[in-house]
Amino acid sequence: MRFLIVDDSSTMRRIIINTLNKLGHQDVQEAGNGKEGLERLTSGPVDMIITDWNMPEMSGIDFIRAVRSSATVKDVPVLMVTTNAAKDDIVEALKAGVNSYVVKPFTPETMREKIEAVLPR
Amino acid sequence: MPATIDTQFVDELLAATRDVFKTMVFHDVEPSSPMSGDALRPGANVVGTVAFAGKTSGLVVFYSTLEVAQAITASMLGVEPTSVNGELPDAIGELTNMIAGSFRTRMAGVRGETWAISVPTVTVGSDFYTKYVSDVQRVLCPFRMGQAELYVELIVTRSAGQ
Repeated sequence: MRFLIVDDSSTMRRIIINTLNKLGHQDVQEAGNGKEGLERLTSGPVDMIITDWNMPEMSGIDFIRAVRSSATVKDVPVLMVTTNAAKDDIVEALKAGVNSYVVKPFTPETMREKIEAVLPR
Repeated sequence: MPATIDTQFVDELLAATRDVFKTMVFHDVEPSSPMSGDALRPGANVVGTVAFAGKTSGLVVFYSTLEVAQAITASMLGVEPTSVNGELPDAIGELTNMIAGSFRTRMAGVRGETWAISVPTVTVGSDFYTKYVSDVQRVLCPFRMGQAELYVELIVTRSAGQ
């Protein structure tokens, strides 16, 4: 299973990669913002996208809207990992096309539950 | 403006800091008595700052020595402290961002206040201190992480609790 992590913080990318590794997922690609994320998606298929909200160049919300309007990757599950936890934020993210939402800080168990919840059965 | 910051703000900041360290730094931190005053100057080589704005506005500030910041960075990344090089500012910025974000979420839950928060800034250096305008209230929260000491400060620029 291949993941794409989109986050401008190299620290948060590493934390998420370490968490995914602990959960048994080794195939992970990285991007520093939404624009880079879209470029990564053209280089090969991914099974799940994990994205931050606040990023330079292209925000997580704009990135998700672009994914959902794409003919090739519109059905890829998207998990948003962010400190934005207000109800309005969550509603906006869901409207943009997020499948599930993880509020930082998070535990590996929370990440596992969210990933399993959005994977196709 | 009250003389001191409402204890609910301090309690939620303490809880947010402990939660972030436990889940993302993989270390427990133990708080000691918060200190209030305008002349607080914790000795630090690394300062992370995130501003928040809304009905209440202010700053959440993280302070530590370079050595402690390296240990925190290493733990977050899952590497040895000696391997930490240029990652420290990003890690301390993300740490401060998570503390401020968790604090914001907690305050929204207990007070219904909605705040915007800024991107983090991190200062690394020596022989400096940060001076704020006089119209602020400050509370400095010391923590121990093992033998190491670190601080998280709440600076409120508008009425806290009124």
